[in-house]
Amino acid sequence: MADIALPRPQRIDFPRRALELVPGIALLAAIGYAGKLIEQSIAAYSKAHALHLPNIEYVLWAIVIGLVIANTVGVPRLFKPGVATYEFWLKAGIVFLGVRFLIGDVLRLGGVSLVLVAVELSVSIALMTVLGRLFRLKPKLISLLAIGSSICGVSAIIAAKGAIEADDEDASYAIAAILALGAIALFFFPLIGHALGMSDHAFGLWAGLGVDNTAEATATGALYSDTAAKYAVLAKTTRNATIGFVVLGYAIYWASRGSAQQIDNKAQFLWQKFPKFILGFLFLSLVASLGVFTKEQTASLANLSRWAFLLTFAGVGLMTDFREMRKQGVRPFIVGAVGEMAIAALTLGLVMAADAVFTI
Amino acid sequence: MAHTAIPTARRWLSLDGWAVLLSLALTALIWADLVPPVRW
Repeated sequence: MADIALPRPQRIDFPRRALELVPGIALLAAIGYAGKLIEQSIAAYSKAHALHLPNIEYVLWAIVIGLVIANTVGVPRLFKPGVATYEFWLKAGIVFLGVRFLIGDVLRLGGVSLVLVAVELSVSIALMTVLGRLFRLKPKLISLLAIGSSICGVSAIIAAKGAIEADDEDASYAIAAILALGAIALFFFPLIGHALGMSDHAFGLWAGLGVDNTAEATATGALYSDTAAKYAVLAKTTRNATIGFVVLGYAIYWASRGSAQQIDNKAQFLWQKFPKFILGFLFLSLVASLGVFTKEQTASLANLSRWAFLLTFAGVGLMTDFREMRKQGVRPFIVGAVGEMAIAALTLGLVMAADAVFTI
Repeated sequence: MAHTAIPTARRWLSLDGWAVLLSLALTALIWADLVPPVRW
């Protein structure tokens, strides 16, 4: 009965579920486009009046509009399913971004990123664990915060939640904290980058290594420059690729302590957790490197990537609710914030050193 | 909000493959010049 019944409701539900997504996606598009219009209007105004107004990117406008809505009136229920698709657009945008990379560059920079990611992962996991114990957080909340801050925020926390059998409450808090800290980071990273006169490449790598959630890391890079966004995505994607290994490590640890199930097939586990959109990104990079696309086609694909990111950036603001922080008190947030600042400083040092050694 | 984010995000994470498929389908259409140029 269940075997027959399970697939059917999904098919019957599909048009209805697709319709449920429309209002939220329309809201993402409206906020993203409003951000773009505000940026263009300010630029046109300052040009017409010969003023030197600071150029604030559409990225920031879209995020700020979303943040204001989420933290004042809140996102109405009708829009929530569609707003939650922001990760989907992010992944589609990353796949399209593949056409802007030559596969050789991906492998070379991916290799450099991988070395940096290995150092970043080890230090941030150790740091979060020490800080979490110091502030006497629940052990599984510490694991989730460590995974979220070392790899890739929301995706990693969700992947780990099932594997280590953590509470819904802990996972919800860890997600809210990672989103809030990511939103804060994206305001500060570009200021620091400009103050230090960082190159687009170096800043992009830093954003990719230091900012937790992929959407926020991409937005941080885009706030600096288009090129920085490209490199932020590359570094962040390298970090995302390690998700399976870290989650597997934690799952084995908790299983050995008897509070999570054993994992029998480790290869299958790693494949399940591997972010498949990375394969799409690599495929398009490879195809573009073979010269399959004309210049105009490459421009169209790069612009599709920008439109997809536009929806994502609107979602970043709408999904970040600082009021969630109050539910578990201030201690986990302090652990997250202190850890993030230390990781940001560490990754900045790593990128500066790599810039000097590898001339990234 | 984050409570609803977990099941929703889990559902969408399983749509990684859909994101790739959508992107590759649009790429094929652009490569075949079946859609007008996308502007920014």
